[in-house]
Order: sequence, then C-alpha cells, then structure tokens
Amino acid sequence: MVKTGESSARSGDESSLIKRLQAGEQAAFDEAVRAYTPSMLLVARFYLDPASAEDAVQEVWIKVVQAIQSFEGRASLKTWLHRIVANQAKDGLRKAGREIAMDFSEPLEPALDSRFRTRGTWSEPPRLKTTESAEQWLESGALKACLDKHLTALPEQHRSALMLYEAHQHKSEDVCNILGVSASNLRVILHRARQRIFLMVETFRETGKC
Amino acid sequence: MLMCRDLAVVASDYIDGELSPGQRLSVKVHLMMCRHCRALVNNLRNSATVLQKHSSQQVNEDYFRRVKLNIAQALQDSRDKNS
Ligand SMILES: [Zn+2]
Repeated sequence: MVKTGESSARSGDESSLIKRLQAGEQAAFDEAVRAYTPSMLLVARFYLDPASAEDAVQEVWIKVVQAIQSFEGRASLKTWLHRIVANQAKDGLRKAGREIAMDFSEPLEPALDSRFRTRGTWSEPPRLKTTESAEQWLESGALKACLDKHLTALPEQHRSALMLYEAHQHKSEDVCNILGVSASNLRVILHRARQRIFLMVETFRETGKC
Repeated sequence: MLMCRDLAVVASDYIDGELSPGQRLSVKVHLMMCRHCRALVNNLRNSATVLQKHSSQQVNEDYFRRVKLNIAQALQDSRDKNS
C-alpha cells in the first residue's frame, strides 16, 4: 500500500483497526460496526426510508468484508464507508424507480416568511422573549418532549444532513460530498431546521400545545 | 438598507460566522436598532443549540447483533472459499 500524505496523518488506532479488518478479525469488525454504523445509517436515511436504510447498511457491511482488502487509505475509513453506503442507497433508489426531490432553494420556512410585509418589515414579530436561553427551553420537561417530537418530525433528509453535519464536527465539505448537496443547500437545511424549532417553541410557549 | 426579512434570511449565517465582514456589519447595525430581529437571532441561536444537543443517533442493540451475525457468516464464507 502506498502511503499518501493523508494516510500517514491517520491516527495509529485507525491504521491498526484497518489491518485487523483486512486480516478478517471478528472483534475488529465488532468494533467497527459499533463505531461507524450510526453515521452510516444517517447517510442511508438521507435517501431511503428507515427500514430500507437498515437493510442497505447491513448489505454494505457484508460487502465490506471483501472490499476492505482493496481499501487503499486515500480517504478515512469513515468517509470510505459513507461513500459505499451512499452508492448502495442510490442504487436502491434507482431500482425502485424513485428520485429524491431536493428543493432547498427557499431560505425561509413559509410560516416565518408569511410574517413579513411585502416591503420586508415584520407584520408579526417574534413573540418569544429575547432573554431566554436554550437551557431554559430544555429545563421544561413538557417543552423538551415537544422538541423531541418536532425533531423526529423533521423531513428525513433534513434530519440526516443535520445530524451528519454535527457528527462530522461541522466539516460541511465532507457532508456535502457524501450526500451530493451543495454547501449552500446544506446551509439552507440548517437554517430551516432552526426556524422550525423556533416556531415550535413560540407556539408551545403561547398555547401550551405541541 | 437591510430589511428585517433580509436579516431573517441570513440569520443562521450570521450566527455561524459565515458572513463577509461587510454583511456582518450591516446585520450588527440592524440588530442594534431592531428588537424584533434581536429576538429572532437569539431564538435561532437557542434552536441551534437544541439541535446540536439532539444530534446523537441511537441504534438499537438488536440491529447491531444482526449486523454482527451477518458479518460473522460472511467471514466464515470467505475463509471456506480460501481454504
Ligand atoms: Zn429587523
């Protein structure tokens, strides 16, 4: 294996894990499954429903048993796995004759956009206090339950992109490459998810309803 | 001159420090004068924190077990093939 600059910067842990995977060591696979499956599922769920995503990731792991032999270490193990998952999931979509619609062009949630006058001033300004903190939001059990519910209700694609973004320590190029979305689309996804949470908390504070 | 709606459009970019120095300055000037937009920015910042805290993905143990079993089987198959 030729060492590139990138692979020599790899942590010793990852190199030794890769060697053990290539040697077919079961314990190494157990470790890798635990470490990488959660984010692999996120990638798959960007394209597929939850059950199909689980199947796709399962199939990828079986493929990896052989494919790891040809892993050359040009990318990190995680990125390599994510790429295989994305390809597998896109294949699944093609076979099902489906395509994912990606319209991330509108930066504002309709429910927020409708609160401005045509000339761009507020007609219905935010009703939440400016001084509240996120900690205060999370202190209330009922509000927290409502947040959980709304997070689960985010469009699957948005949620998976967001969570990958967080899981990758905000390295947005990685997330964009794997999901095939532009950096500006990712910014819009992020912005709209925040707006949804804000609108939800506002309604909850006023009506007590989730 | 930056309108409130324009500010709402770039609010997350402002929060994450993704604006150019010029844009950043006009947002700051607007925020000094407009309490509604201050409220919006503060609330979106809280929302960002909430989203970050909820970004850990839970995978159930049963799924892990199934994946591991399948891998064990695949490893066995490849050993059989090579022997
Ligand atoms: Zn304003």
